[in-house]
Amino acid sequence: MKLLYKILLWNIVIVAVCLGVGGYSFVNFVFETSLERETKQALDESSILQFAFETAALNIPSRYDMLQDTTIEEIGYSLEHGGQNNSTRMLHISDEERNTLYLGQGFGVDEGFLQQIPKDGKIYQLREVNGRYYIHTGCKMEALDRVLHLETMKDITQIYEERKEGFEVYRKVILFVLVIASVIMYLICRWLTKPIRLLTKATHKMTEGDYSYRAKVISNDEMGQLTDDFNMMAANLEQNINMLENEIQAREEFIAAFAHELKTPLTAIIGYADMLRSRKMDEEKAFVSANYIFTEGKRLEAMAFRLLDIIVTKRLDIEKQKIDTEKIFDYLKEIYGEYDRVKIRCHYEKATIKVESDLLKSVMINLVDNACKASDEGGKVEIIGKRLEQGYLFSVKDYGMGIPEEECDKITNAFYMVDKSRSRSRNGAGLGLALCVEILRLHNSELHIESKVGEGSRFSFLIPWEEVSEHEVLD
Amino acid sequence: MIRILIVDDEKAICDLIDMNLSAAGYSCKTVQNGFDALDLIEKEQFDLILLDIMLPGADGYDIIEYIRPLKIPVIFITAKHEVKDRVKGLKLGAEDYLVKPFDVVELIARVEVVLRRFHKTQSVLQAGDVLVDTEARKVMKNGKTIVLTNKEYGLLLLFIRNKNVALFKETLYEKVWGDEYIADSRTLELHVQRLRKKMGWEQHLVAVYKVGYRLEI
Repeated sequence: MKLLYKILLWNIVIVAVCLGVGGYSFVNFVFETSLERETKQALDESSILQFAFETAALNIPSRYDMLQDTTIEEIGYSLEHGGQNNSTRMLHISDEERNTLYLGQGFGVDEGFLQQIPKDGKIYQLREVNGRYYIHTGCKMEALDRVLHLETMKDITQIYEERKEGFEVYRKVILFVLVIASVIMYLICRWLTKPIRLLTKATHKMTEGDYSYRAKVISNDEMGQLTDDFNMMAANLEQNINMLENEIQAREEFIAAFAHELKTPLTAIIGYADMLRSRKMDEEKAFVSANYIFTEGKRLEAMAFRLLDIIVTKRLDIEKQKIDTEKIFDYLKEIYGEYDRVKIRCHYEKATIKVESDLLKSVMINLVDNACKASDEGGKVEIIGKRLEQGYLFSVKDYGMGIPEEECDKITNAFYMVDKSRSRSRNGAGLGLALCVEILRLHNSELHIESKVGEGSRFSFLIPWEEVSEHEVLD
Repeated sequence: MIRILIVDDEKAICDLIDMNLSAAGYSCKTVQNGFDALDLIEKEQFDLILLDIMLPGADGYDIIEYIRPLKIPVIFITAKHEVKDRVKGLKLGAEDYLVKPFDVVELIARVEVVLRRFHKTQSVLQAGDVLVDTEARKVMKNGKTIVLTNKEYGLLLLFIRNKNVALFKETLYEKVWGDEYIADSRTLELHVQRLRKKMGWEQHLVAVYKVGYRLEI
């Protein structure tokens, strides 16, 4: 059952019970008050009648010393009809032996009650006779030498009827109030549960995959707080999912590029091998074929190693050591010292930096290799190391063909090559810069590329200073 | 002689195709970038162009736009294997689309088909003293007509088009019977023996150990 209907149902039950109990108590209270009043009246009347009877008995000229039964009957009659003709009063007068002397019309004699009448004082009881309600009072009176019993009965059916009517009216009122209260409560509940409905809608939308949907905040209470929290959670979720999707897309692109790059060397290897096994070839052609198989195989090998490097680097927790920049440049000089296709010059300032030296060397070698590939024969490549305020700046500058502006962003993607034929002819796999970016990321650094077509390019990166104390410097 | 231009940025692939097509009797030229290809197409006459799509300079799509008015058939050879790439290539007017890595025998067969479609193929094939008129479906040896069954004729064409190339039993069976080769089936051997006898090629059509057969002429 919906929360809305639960609240509504409970509300109806509570209102009905409250109104029922309250109404019953009220009507009953009114009834009790009226009954009390009537009782008091009946008792007063009884006293008055007693007095009136005694007075009347005294005033009668007595032929005998005794009050005659007939006289009593006469007085009784005149008392019963005293003044008013439509009186509802009924009297019963009986003698010492409880024999009836006067009996009003409709008066039902109750022997038990008659016997209970005390010597002084009064008693009363409520009686129902033929569907009508009466107050029955009883007392003793003395006239001359006689002690008589006087009983009165007063019709109070009306207050019973009023009570019945009261209940009837009250039932109608309860029904009416319940309907009105339910309608109002329904509206209030709808208003109160609106945030829940909005939240539910939001969760459904998210389940269907619409992660950008947000629930509207319409109140400042706990529901509003919950909606806020939910939206915050949704925002985080959306961010994570987007990140994952981007990562998956990047991975797919990488795999697609990888598969594409694999195909070319594979085509050559399979093709030449097929020729070798199925064709009679002269020695020269056989050598050319075998050589192609070898070089293309080497290319695959280089690609595999580079890929492995990137994957390993991505997962690596590097251990940085302190090293003098001089050592890095010495190492580069050693490697490129006998390289005569291009001229390589080093300018550097001495400093101590904290890096993983093997990885940094590999970055530098990659950059210098790229610079050499981009340069024409006899060109110039400069390797520069500079102390700056924020860190130590490495840059590699060439005066070769340069990179078109729109390619600069893509250049660090795996397998991307600006000039494929040229780079392949020097055994490039298009993975070097992707590896550099990964390594620099581990050093909290980024690769900056400035380039102009025809004028050359400059690759640079900044290794931020970390606290280096002199005695820690690595030998 | 039929002249074929091969455009691929990989020298290794260019040479591979060159060697195979030359052996099959075509005259080939190779270039490694788009601009050189355009220069060459302007200067010389070609019957067929094998074109890579990813090229330095002008790419394959640019080049085919340029070639279309010249009515030279083009076969794309590329590593792009997705259907949308193929459709794009074929829509631009390529005659065929070959995905790397490809089989050399398949390359030769496709070249053959495209050339035949453009009526550029020689209708008469020759191997030693044997002449095959592919239009008349007639085989002559020393001026005498030899009657061959359909399968034998199919085998003969394959051998003549791939002279001095060892053809694998699987390849032969698949091309002629159009069915998957069953390892211990003797059907192929029987047909080759009958062909050998009819053509008088006891010395030329040799069995290659563990491979298949080769026509040595």
